Amino acid sequence: MTTASPKAAERAAITAAAAADPTRRPRPLGGPLAGVRVVDFCWMGVGAIATRMLADFGAEVIRIEDSKRLDLPRRLPINKTAGARAYGDEDADPDPNAGGLFNNFNRNKLGITLNMRDPRGRALCERLISLSSVVTENFAPGVMERWGLVYERIRELTPEPIMARMSGYGHSGPHADFKSYGPVVQAVSGLSHVSGLPGREPSGWGLSYMDNMAAFHNAAALLTAIYHRNLTGRGTEIDVSAVEAGITLLGPVMLEVTVNGRKTRGGSFPTGNRLEHPPMAPHGVYPALGTDRWVAIAVANDAEWLSLLAELGHPEWNDDPRFASQAARHENQDALDALVGRATAGRDRHDLMHRLQQRGVAAAAVQTTEDVCDRDPQLAQAGVFFELDHPVIGPARFEGMPVRFSRLRQDNWRSAPLLGEDNRHVATQVLGLAEDEYRRLVDEGVFG
Amino acid sequence: MSAHPYAGLKIVEIADHVGGEYLGRLFAELGAEVTKLEPPAGSATRHVGPYAGGAEGPENSLTFWYYNTNKKSVLVDLASGDPHAALVPFLADADMLIVTFQPGVLRQLGLDLDRLSQDFPRLVIVSMTPYGLTGPWADYRSSDLVALAAGGPLHMCGYDDHSIPPIMPGGPQAHHTTAAFAHIAVMAALIERQTTGLGQLLDVSMHSASALNTELGNPFWLYNRVPVLRQTCRHAQPVMTQSPMYECADGSYVYYTLILADQHSWKILVAWMDELGMAAMLTEPAYGDVLHRQANMGQIQELVESFFLIQNGHDAYLEGQRRGLPIGIVNAPEELLDDEHLKARGFFVPVETDTAHGTVLYPGESCRYSAFGAVERRRAPRLGEDG
Repeated sequence: MTTASPKAAERAAITAAAAADPTRRPRPLGGPLAGVRVVDFCWMGVGAIATRMLADFGAEVIRIEDSKRLDLPRRLPINKTAGARAYGDEDADPDPNAGGLFNNFNRNKLGITLNMRDPRGRALCERLISLSSVVTENFAPGVMERWGLVYERIRELTPEPIMARMSGYGHSGPHADFKSYGPVVQAVSGLSHVSGLPGREPSGWGLSYMDNMAAFHNAAALLTAIYHRNLTGRGTEIDVSAVEAGITLLGPVMLEVTVNGRKTRGGSFPTGNRLEHPPMAPHGVYPALGTDRWVAIAVANDAEWLSLLAELGHPEWNDDPRFASQAARHENQDALDALVGRATAGRDRHDLMHRLQQRGVAAAAVQTTEDVCDRDPQLAQAGVFFELDHPVIGPARFEGMPVRFSRLRQDNWRSAPLLGEDNRHVATQVLGLAEDEYRRLVDEGVFG
Repeated sequence: MSAHPYAGLKIVEIADHVGGEYLGRLFAELGAEVTKLEPPAGSATRHVGPYAGGAEGPENSLTFWYYNTNKKSVLVDLASGDPHAALVPFLADADMLIVTFQPGVLRQLGLDLDRLSQDFPRLVIVSMTPYGLTGPWADYRSSDLVALAAGGPLHMCGYDDHSIPPIMPGGPQAHHTTAAFAHIAVMAALIERQTTGLGQLLDVSMHSASALNTELGNPFWLYNRVPVLRQTCRHAQPVMTQSPMYECADGSYVYYTLILADQHSWKILVAWMDELGMAAMLTEPAYGDVLHRQANMGQIQELVESFFLIQNGHDAYLEGQRRGLPIGIVNAPEELLDDEHLKARGFFVPVETDTAHGTVLYPGESCRYSAFGAVERRRAPRLGEDG
């Protein structure tokens, strides 16, 4: 899609310069997965996030990209110059190296552009697989089959491989070929339906929750397979269905349906911000000072209730028979929420959060992404975001792990690869091609 | 078929919330021996509904049933006496400890995770707490709602109408997110232990996990420096977009994102609408041009709304997918039990409850491995059933 770009020469020069930069050159990595080489066909979010986890822990993840069919996160207008645009509002000739989402999803990976439509490209790919022990993909079913890269073939190429196949519906069953992306998975798995106010359309999710969650699922499955192979010497094929992963995340409501026969259509379900189990009240999101600013409050018992009243300056509410017990408060949430909302409306959401927490009440400002990324002292001390430089994007902050390890260290050695940045390295250092052979393959369009 | 990957792993679980219990379940499901240590009153989740048959009681909580399959339950009172002494018999040959106490509670109990880590150097200790073990908020209180609020996802979820507050998505998703990250972290630590022989302490924070689950939200801020606006059942974005939810004749909704610039999908949709006599002027050549379509967006949206309104949701879903469109049906949980695809894959699995409810269906494995099959699912343990 960008081969005809008028900026192609300029971009190629940047890529060449980056590939020659010694600080970006691939080096042996540290971490528990050091020595594990992964041939990675994953793209979009759901695949790329999964293999990023492997790269973060020291695996040598080599992404195979198609320069004629750019990964969507390279193209989306999520970058330092796009401003306020919908992600569907793409540029006609996007710089594939400026994509922020791609950078976020693909740090610590190597990237090559290999023409899989050319038999020589496929042969090189098979050679790369023979030098690797893990293959990952999240194409629509049929793409790997078209290249002949099914598990049986991978096993011929390399002993006891792990092959992870990540799709919306899994690789068997009548809907195996169905097309999906995060919001479709959320709809089909029931996650959208269980989210919203009663008597209205579902409010669902404001993000591709299932891209993230299926990716985390996939990453765990890959790590499980690597652990298992270390123990037993046995490889495995992994089939993950994002829809099925989504259903496991419905939680206890699924058992209400199968055990108690609950019907969730119509009536009072779903319950918005109110909680049926346990019957907490108030349990909601209340207005705070400012436009679209809110505070979340969750009260579990009488002690917390009295603390809330003290902070809001309304001890007299406790004398109201409608609010005399947790059960009564749960029963009368319409009246309760109206009162609480009036009392919070003029309050600063962070100030109120801290004051309520000091009194032992679970509360939080409904934080924006700006709060989370730039102002949250708890996240800052945990080192949740970290910075790496990038030849086109410049310094950028990355989403790390919500975990602090006492021993293990993530080896964050590089931001995401430029398109084809590691072609020469992989061709000459991994595949062992001579420089002139590599040049010829570039000229003939096999690489690049 | 080889042994299940976690067979031989011994896990001790001290969890008073569903996040810790879900992590334990993820290991039990693949063959680990998970021993749940419960206080005399039982895990807090035994006292959270819904209850089987509506009968309140620690053996009837469906929340407990859901998150504790394939585990053992042993009664241990950590609040009376030296908790280290009480734990030694369980940790001596354990590979992993899941513990969910916040720092203040650990201090109160006299339980020192660093000391445990030194005393049991092979042990992987997973602390799963609302805010992590350190920092100014470490002892703040939390809940699913509070965690999604503080972490950022909540502000992105709700309705187009911003006079309505952000709406929490259903299910304990902040806990689920935390458990998913924790699973990854534990596996990395276990793989490292295969080389070094050493365990370690993992400090997992639900607040951090929620903050890392905004998908496009954080990148839109970190790169574009723009906030995102919540929108009904679709991505929060810097600008408002069209609704992808279409009501059908039977009151259900299908989910389809109409991307006018996508020529391929446009042709499929118009041909389908035309077959049902609902394409109106969309078959005119002018609509082949994306600019013309964009200029007539409102009109097109109305026609597509009418087109879905005359069909049943499930039929439209199957037919749209058959034609190659990425269309979804907004399923209610009870409808999943009749889904032909899930049936063919045998997704829901029977679990004998040893109660009047007999055998009930649970969601099954969401990862399938060719090298080993699923572990048979066993009901959650009764309180103190194993000692």
